[in-house]
Amino acid sequence: MSTTSDKQQANPLREGLSTRTVPQACTVVIFGATGDLTMRKLIPALYNLAADGELPPQVAIVGFARRPKTDDEFRKEQEESTKKFSRQKVRDEIWDGFAQALFYHQSEFHDAAGYKSLAERLEKIDKERGTGGNRLFYLAVAPDQFEAILKNLKDAGLNEPRDGGWTRVIVEKPFGTDLATARELNAVVRKAFSENQTYRIDHFLGKETAQNILVLRFANAIFEPIWNGRYVDHIQITAAETLGVEGRAGYYEGAGALRDMVQNHLLQLLCLVAMEPPTDLGADSIRDEKVKIVRSLRRMSAEEITRNVVRGQYCDGAINGEPVPAYRSEKNVKPDSKTETFVALKVRVDDWRLADVPIYIRVGKRLPKSGTEISVHFKKAPAVLFNRESVSLDQNVLVIRIQPDEGISLRMQAKVPGTSFRIEPVKMDFHYGTSFGKASPEAYERLLLDAMSGDATLFARRDEVEEAWAFVDPIEEAWTAKEKQPGLFMYPAGSWGPEEADELLARDGRAWRRL
Amino acid sequence: MPAETFAPGIQVEIGKIDRELKKLWAEGGGAKTRASLINLAVYSEEPGSLPKNTKIISEITEDHACRAIVIGANPAAKENRVEAWINVHCHVSRAGSKQVCSEQLSFLLEGPSARLLPNIVFSQLDSDLPLVLWWQGEFSDPMDPQLWAWVDRVIYDSQTWRDFRAQMERVETAQAEAKQRIVLCDLNWTRLVQIRLALAQFFDHPSMQTRFDEIESVEIEFAPEFRSTALLLAGWLAAQLHWSDGKQANKSALAFRGRGEREIKVSLSEKAGEPLGRCAVRCGSVEFVVTHAKNADLLEVAAGDRGCRMPAGQNDVVRLMSEELMRGGPHRVYLRAMNCVREFL
Repeated sequence: MSTTSDKQQANPLREGLSTRTVPQACTVVIFGATGDLTMRKLIPALYNLAADGELPPQVAIVGFARRPKTDDEFRKEQEESTKKFSRQKVRDEIWDGFAQALFYHQSEFHDAAGYKSLAERLEKIDKERGTGGNRLFYLAVAPDQFEAILKNLKDAGLNEPRDGGWTRVIVEKPFGTDLATARELNAVVRKAFSENQTYRIDHFLGKETAQNILVLRFANAIFEPIWNGRYVDHIQITAAETLGVEGRAGYYEGAGALRDMVQNHLLQLLCLVAMEPPTDLGADSIRDEKVKIVRSLRRMSAEEITRNVVRGQYCDGAINGEPVPAYRSEKNVKPDSKTETFVALKVRVDDWRLADVPIYIRVGKRLPKSGTEISVHFKKAPAVLFNRESVSLDQNVLVIRIQPDEGISLRMQAKVPGTSFRIEPVKMDFHYGTSFGKASPEAYERLLLDAMSGDATLFARRDEVEEAWAFVDPIEEAWTAKEKQPGLFMYPAGSWGPEEADELLARDGRAWRRL
Repeated sequence: MPAETFAPGIQVEIGKIDRELKKLWAEGGGAKTRASLINLAVYSEEPGSLPKNTKIISEITEDHACRAIVIGANPAAKENRVEAWINVHCHVSRAGSKQVCSEQLSFLLEGPSARLLPNIVFSQLDSDLPLVLWWQGEFSDPMDPQLWAWVDRVIYDSQTWRDFRAQMERVETAQAEAKQRIVLCDLNWTRLVQIRLALAQFFDHPSMQTRFDEIESVEIEFAPEFRSTALLLAGWLAAQLHWSDGKQANKSALAFRGRGEREIKVSLSEKAGEPLGRCAVRCGSVEFVVTHAKNADLLEVAAGDRGCRMPAGQNDVVRLMSEELMRGGPHRVYLRAMNCVREFL
């Protein structure tokens, strides 16, 4: 989020050319170079940055993985997958130059000798390409590999910045499975890298609309005065997917919707929508405000969890008219699995701004539509004048659509043309895709550039992650308690979740917004 | 709706434009969405400009939804003539489900009617949206202060001007009379974006910035008629690196004074090809070179024996306009660059 206006622009030739901090030349070392994330997201993102002229030309990329492979084989493989997954067409003349910056380093993650040879190779690359000793390590591997990789990086001295350069590490989620494991993981990372070298990636924050929440709230004078309990009735945050577990059952069985989505993505969105204005756009100023929100989330007792949290799991049903099997019938899922594929929560933020404003969060798989959005429901107009008759008017609702069809809409009341005085809700709608023809960069493009620029705004800080687990852990504990365990409610695939989720709002006189 | 065409569209009476536009939309059904982020007024006195600009607008609106007000004027005509057309340019949105459409209103103003320009523009503006005036060719004298008072950004291409200083004076006078901060956007400056990026990246690493004080010479190759583009590039380096005392020995040699009274030579040479074919900055033993690759929209950038490729951008008016509309900004650097070489332009 840091802009050139709030940071000293060291290179005078950059003035006016860019409104973001400039990424610096570096070597990006990707652990897990033959994995899905690298093939589908990371290399295509780096290629797109190169094609758009955003990537410093000296950048080198070293893939680190176990399988034996030559540089050329690695380049060929990455070319094929980039052609498949890149957001823009791969141009041979650009790829040829980009491919020369791709290298492959074969080693087991726990083999110290592999890191020694990596260090030598990085030095050679530094000299050949002029990366200035800057290194960005990307851990695109399962968390159980982190410890071996980080320890070996440290033992090989690769964690230390050198020659006036910098060393950073990007850690992919999940950041632990509960508070204890998150702390362990953070401790493991901290042994090798300090907090300001650590970038915990949450790709939701790289999405254009997520970044736009702060612009909407703090660049428009009309919203801030009414963004509080006096005018806001409640807030809903929804992340709905039509997809099931899609081959991720092994991971999902151990995670569930609460850990997979709520602890990270949805709480991040909640922070953006609930936080106070930061003092400036610096990474820590924004993250300081966000962490205050996570800390202010009211912790729930076991009884409150039963009342305010609904978990569900999909059974047989249909998506887009096609029958789909129940979660328990998916491959690698236990037939008696209690993993939740749906969660609905009512949470409270105990701060002055939103103390009286309930925030309802729901996330689910196999729902009828895919979409992620935040809706701010304002209080109704007073029961005088137009609102006086038996017909109750709808609320004004401001909707921030994160995906798909990113945009913002505002529902308001209008008179229906005619001689009678009928009032109906109408919608003012802004679509990014309609107003701005240019496609937004992929979240990973933005986040990789930020990491190269040293801008950690869109990355989760250690305390944010741990506080989020501290909020989520009691819910998980209640669900696995031996006594008074809250129920797991079934819902047919293709429905909007269990009825209990509707009741969660109905008993407050509210209803989920129709997506 | 009519099929997309580069004719200016359906001819309408000026007083009925709103009504005819409503009819046009009513025929379209719900699958089309009108979008507009700016009012883009395009003014040209070139004969036959309306179809040419209609084609350009149809391409620009792929990336920049706007209300386009396209004016073809011939103030020298003896006969008085005012005609109007309406048109829409539709493109499938990125989501793929809807067509996003921009309106184009076209006017032909001949004879004394050409003086109606401000009135025509004012009456057709989409409310609350900024007004961007793209003035093609030379500015007329005097310029209408009434019109300028409404303009937020004025776009022109100084590369086409015969007398840069006289034209710039007119723009600056109009700007002052309008008492409004109009952002001056020169497509000749936009032409330099990619080469500026390519040169700037050489000096991104903090350790490279000491090299600024070692710059001895700059060589710029430009295509015929693009000397002004090359001068703006030289002006940019001079302004940003605080070189002073610009002097012109002859048309192909400039000299500036850098820190410590060091002389920096800038040589300009004409060579057929891309507007800017090559720029080399020599700093002691190292030469930083940016060369436009042959028959490709790529720049080859090289520092010593290290090289790579970067996007070059394209020198066609649609790409330049799209780039300009996308980048926005106050263009303070342009003004500084231009002022550094104004006397040589």
